[in-house]
Amino acid sequence: MSTFVDRLGIDRLRQWLPLTTLVILVILVGALQPVFLQPATLLQLASDTAVLFILATGVTFVIMLGGIDLSIQSMASLASVVVALTVARFGYGAFALAIGLGLLAGLLSGIAHVRLKIPSFIATLAMGGVLYSSALVISGERSIMLADAERSYQSWITGTVFGAPGVIIIGLVVLIVAHVLQAHTRFGRYSAAIGAGEPAAYASGVKVGRQKIFAFVLSGGFAALAGVVLAGRLASGSPTLAAELLLPSIAAVVVGGTAITGGVGSIWRTLVGALIISVVRIGMTFLGVNIFAQNIVFGVVLIVAVAITIDRSKIPIVK
Amino acid sequence: MSTPTTSATSALPDATPAKHVSRFRLASWAPVIVLVLLCIIIASINPNFLSFGNFVRISQAAMIPLVLGLGATFIILMGSIDLSVEGVLTLAAVILSMLVLNGANGNDYGLLAVLAVLVIGAAVGFVNGVIHVKLKVPSFMTTLGIWFIGVGAANALLGGMAIRINDPMIRGLAIERFLGFARGVWLALACLGVALVVQNYTRLGRHIYALGGGEELAALSGISVARVRIMAFMLAGVFYAIGGILAAAQLGLGNAQIGNGRLFTTVTAVVVGGTALSGGQGSVLQTLVGVLIVVVLANGMVLMGVPPSVQIGVQGLMIIAAVALSIDRKLMRIVK
Repeated sequence: MSTFVDRLGIDRLRQWLPLTTLVILVILVGALQPVFLQPATLLQLASDTAVLFILATGVTFVIMLGGIDLSIQSMASLASVVVALTVARFGYGAFALAIGLGLLAGLLSGIAHVRLKIPSFIATLAMGGVLYSSALVISGERSIMLADAERSYQSWITGTVFGAPGVIIIGLVVLIVAHVLQAHTRFGRYSAAIGAGEPAAYASGVKVGRQKIFAFVLSGGFAALAGVVLAGRLASGSPTLAAELLLPSIAAVVVGGTAITGGVGSIWRTLVGALIISVVRIGMTFLGVNIFAQNIVFGVVLIVAVAITIDRSKIPIVK
Repeated sequence: MSTPTTSATSALPDATPAKHVSRFRLASWAPVIVLVLLCIIIASINPNFLSFGNFVRISQAAMIPLVLGLGATFIILMGSIDLSVEGVLTLAAVILSMLVLNGANGNDYGLLAVLAVLVIGAAVGFVNGVIHVKLKVPSFMTTLGIWFIGVGAANALLGGMAIRINDPMIRGLAIERFLGFARGVWLALACLGVALVVQNYTRLGRHIYALGGGEELAALSGISVARVRIMAFMLAGVFYAIGGILAAAQLGLGNAQIGNGRLFTTVTAVVVGGTALSGGQGSVLQTLVGVLIVVVLANGMVLMGVPPSVQIGVQGLMIIAAVALSIDRKLMRIVK
């Protein structure tokens, strides 16, 4: 396996494999179902990808550092519940409240990880439990439908701007903001440095802890935004609204070519990864695969993508 | 209740053994003290806690987390993690419900079905281990994938249905009593016995401690690291499958939601018991204490009228507190 990958040149493979895969998948699905290639369907595809992309973007920042955030789906669900419960009272303030909660939860995960030195997967697994429990308690363990009056506040998500669905515009704004953060700021470069070699970054004077905490804050904030958008699209909030999105989000990041070991990756790759996941999902729906059984495919895709992109020289002992 | 095992202490790399041993003793007794305090507090608030009926309830709530925790303990002792608990458990419960006497098809394989389910648990564990070791994929990623593959496969088999189990032997695990406790509780205790024997008296058990204590050293000492890892994941898979059988017995049916939330309880129980995520420290007896802490706390919250949905959040905080207290930070400069 690894020799085969080495012969191909692992860097070149990492660079172009995701995009090639996406193009081949689009052509394949298009050949099977010509409807798929019509502009309306492609626009629908982009809309459907937005939530996944926003979630995956947040977790990309954490994965770039070599960590992981397993609490994003619980955060997104909690945000949807918060919006559904408070939009009647606070109007647009409800969205700010939900996203503020996301930033706070990310801050707490980051502090638990950095200051208490708890491995990120366990800190965020625990934080996910706390968030899920909060969502269950405040929602009374049920899903909350939005009333018509409350839906008017969702027009920036459900409406259209110059013919483009609002959700696509939100996705594009997230793409630009996240790309600038990741590629053109000190934080972005430090993240890549920490992911590539934490001791070296530390020795060069990078405040490793602060960068890590900021990455978790971003992850929490983007997860909450994804929850807000999801609540707008489904016109409801529920403690399990985003429950099926954790695996596809992480898969999107990894399939895009961002290595789970950190250091290598970008927001563009995550966009490509999210599109691949969406096209695969639509392709399976065309083929009539049960929506729950689709998790089998995503599980396999995740493991294969990690196996291809992982930098084994960085982990002499794999645990 | 639990005594620190000598094999755990000997596997610890540390320059000052005397100091470390005392630290280790305290760390391994702390969960027992927490458990006793918890019992005293709950009993003083609600004396019903100490009734025999409540002990039976606690034992029934503890049997599945215990069996799952035993499997996960071996993985965590190696310094790895297994997130596939729910996947294996769900798959096992669903396949069991399809093979024993049930309400959906004509199968009635009885014990043979149980055996098949155990083999499936071992097979999934084998897949976990092989992907993890041969492709060098970190265990949390491998098992995250397998988790969803397992639940997805169970869903695909069921097609959205739930299958009622009519087999008297399986149902008996939850309904029939022996000396006042359900048969399933005795099965869980038997599993604890098996896990103790594996941990203390077999080469696999010793090698698992050795890997957790220092993998390079273990490899240089001639231990086949790959084989130990794969076997540990297979062992854990069998325990999760038994957990699946017990869960199916308790619920009386197999459905795809049967595993929901069980990973969380399992990880909480193992780390609250004092088994370190960094590997090498801990034991299955400590997991028993951890399971009892989690279950007694949940039971006490029910007695005090706290809604069950709060328990998940409390468990989350317990994970953070337990891990923060148990990690030996001198051994790890980089935390990922």
